[in-house]
Amino acid sequence: MSADFTVEIAQNEYLPVGGEDVNAIVTVTSPDTGPAAPVNGRDSAEIIIIDCSGSMRSPRTKIEQARAATAAAVDVIRDGVAFAVIAGTNKAQPIFPLDYGLAIADDQTRFLAKQAVAEALPRGGTAIGQWLRLAHSMFLSHPATLRHAILLTDGRNEHETPEQLGEAISLCEGVFSCDCRGVGTDWEVGELRRISSALLGTVDIVPDPSGLAADFAAMMETAMGKQVADVSLRVWTPQHATLQFVKQVAPVVEDLTGRRTQSGPQASDYPTGAWGAGESRDYHVCVRVTPAGVGQEMLAARVSLVTATPSGPEVLGQGLVRALWTDDEALSTRINGSVAHYTGQAELAQVIQEGLEARKQGDEDTATAKLGRAVALAEQSGNEGTAKLLAKVVDVVDAASGTVRLKKKVDDADEMALDTRSTKTVRTKK
Amino acid sequence: MTAEPEPAAPAVCPNCGRAVSATDNFCEACRTELAPAVVSGDAPVTATECPFCHAEQITADGYCESCGRRVPSGRDHLELDLGPLAGVTDKGLRHARNEDAMALATAESATGPAVLAVVCDGVSSSRRPDEASLAAVQAAVRVLLAGVRADEDLAETSRAAVAAAQQALAGLDEPGLGDPPSATFVSAVMTTEAVTLCWLGDSRAYWLGSGTGSDAKQLTRDDSVAGELVAAGLVSEADAMDLPGAHVVTGWVGADSPGAPPHVATFTPPGPGVLLLCSDGLWNYQPDAAGLAGLALPGALGDPLGTAAVLVKFALEAGGADNITVVLAPFPPRALEPEEKPPNER
Repeated sequence: MSADFTVEIAQNEYLPVGGEDVNAIVTVTSPDTGPAAPVNGRDSAEIIIIDCSGSMRSPRTKIEQARAATAAAVDVIRDGVAFAVIAGTNKAQPIFPLDYGLAIADDQTRFLAKQAVAEALPRGGTAIGQWLRLAHSMFLSHPATLRHAILLTDGRNEHETPEQLGEAISLCEGVFSCDCRGVGTDWEVGELRRISSALLGTVDIVPDPSGLAADFAAMMETAMGKQVADVSLRVWTPQHATLQFVKQVAPVVEDLTGRRTQSGPQASDYPTGAWGAGESRDYHVCVRVTPAGVGQEMLAARVSLVTATPSGPEVLGQGLVRALWTDDEALSTRINGSVAHYTGQAELAQVIQEGLEARKQGDEDTATAKLGRAVALAEQSGNEGTAKLLAKVVDVVDAASGTVRLKKKVDDADEMALDTRSTKTVRTKK
Repeated sequence: MTAEPEPAAPAVCPNCGRAVSATDNFCEACRTELAPAVVSGDAPVTATECPFCHAEQITADGYCESCGRRVPSGRDHLELDLGPLAGVTDKGLRHARNEDAMALATAESATGPAVLAVVCDGVSSSRRPDEASLAAVQAAVRVLLAGVRADEDLAETSRAAVAAAQQALAGLDEPGLGDPPSATFVSAVMTTEAVTLCWLGDSRAYWLGSGTGSDAKQLTRDDSVAGELVAAGLVSEADAMDLPGAHVVTGWVGADSPGAPPHVATFTPPGPGVLLLCSDGLWNYQPDAAGLAGLALPGALGDPLGTAAVLVKFALEAGGADNITVVLAPFPPRALEPEEKPPNER
């Protein structure tokens, strides 16, 4: 590895006498090696999974746009990258190549893939776990380390149980990353979020099939820009300390706490997936430590970025989260701006999801309170994207106080867009 | 100034016993340095066991690998006493480590006893500022000491000392990582006739006269945003310190130094008094020369070590927001008393 990741820590390291919770925002930025230094194409593999269930026929534009989007994504795949396209129904089968392996991208294979995609016919049901299992075995047929999939569906996972889907997701975790897209409004946000979260990808709604091609091409561009695979956030904590949580907070909120793997006597690893050049993400780490005396200093966490190499784990960068006990209240009561900001952004995502769930259950009082709080948080933090999405679901009476009324008629697509994009955060102004 | 010239260095080499000249840097026979300079923190106490949990793994950045507690560094608080001059350095209350360093030495020059001192303050925004300040004082004091002993021109020697510090820091640089190690610099060579000062950055020298009247003044002018605004007559000194970015230094030693030559000045003390060298950890709380004289006199005339400790305590009690280093040397410099042991560090 030529250049290091930078790791910046934003925190108030001063704790009051007896204080035990240490909060920090960790900003990780990968080296900006520029477009001149892409990884060797041979190290990347891409699979596009398109829903070919019967419902993709209605309206007819859905399968047509899905084919066009897949073709657009195939065009973005760089020469030398191993790739495939899978048709998903109540089972899964390759569209291209047909030998259950991966093809190496060049003009010829890209052309053949697009030709095969154009002939893909929608028929059958939906068993997304099967799709993931096929992608898994096809990825493992090739030695590439940067493995990424795009999964498109228009419906619910009707032809297998949630447990079957769960098992398939577990199988794929750590093997490839997966960006999920739902087209139309007949799919389940929770289902796709479950996949994209576990497989370190994004999830979004594409309400109108005509938007698919641009979205697919953009996702593939991002995937082609990835340079370092399998990066983990390693957190060392002192003895007798507990890591309360580790959350990615930008660009989207993703709680990683449950994704912990022990990597040393006092260290645990959290997966972050692959990184592109000059990519920047923020993490919120909260550690509970045993208080020390006034004037004493403790290292509350050592946060490093680690990638696996053939010769063992390599540390790409690290930052220190410190704790200093003071009896000066002016110091210990100061709240770090970044910590406050992202605490608010995480709450914003949570109250939106809770508010929408309450609305679905017919609990209008809770829905109004939660979505009102969301409006206030979005307003305070300058999260305009989320504020706009909220305004399609509630009538805002006063944004600052969070006074809202639920809209009587809400477009399904607007509600699903708010749900899928609720985790998107804005960064603090530097 | 008619004191009997007494040799500052022992007449025989303490290592091999061979007769040596007072102006020798090293014993001709065994190469032992005869009156070495003392440097704060060049022999850091390398703890091998955590004093809190007794684990035996201390990380390179000074934390216990088990309980996470910061293991006190040998540089947190140091007092150097050479007799004719003394210095105290302290990490202060807010910083995690002491990035200041000082080096002190005594010598016998052509005009009689001389004392010399270097104070450097590692630039916090650079990489490894603590190593930078230490490397700078070590390199500079060696050149100063050799120059004084050899009766070189002191202004030239001072410039050569800065060049040596500059070279030492360039050697610490890891190109490509950015923010190369850097430090401010102030040195003084005080003979029985004059004080030769040399500086880059905002570490300062003051003259604190003990005569009647307000005989106290700042001898250096800061290379800082505030210092430049004051020098240009744009703002008053009191107002300048409140400006945002006032403390940003505009001169330093280090691989990315702006390259301006160091300032050199010669000051002829009008009478008895004390020379003070300090980092901004002290003068932030009392920039005024008369105010500093009020704190340091008359104690510093007879007890430079005790008084340096008093000044450090003053800065700690005022807030201790930065590392603090104070060096005091009474004028005229006196020779080492025969019973004064070779330089020690405690």
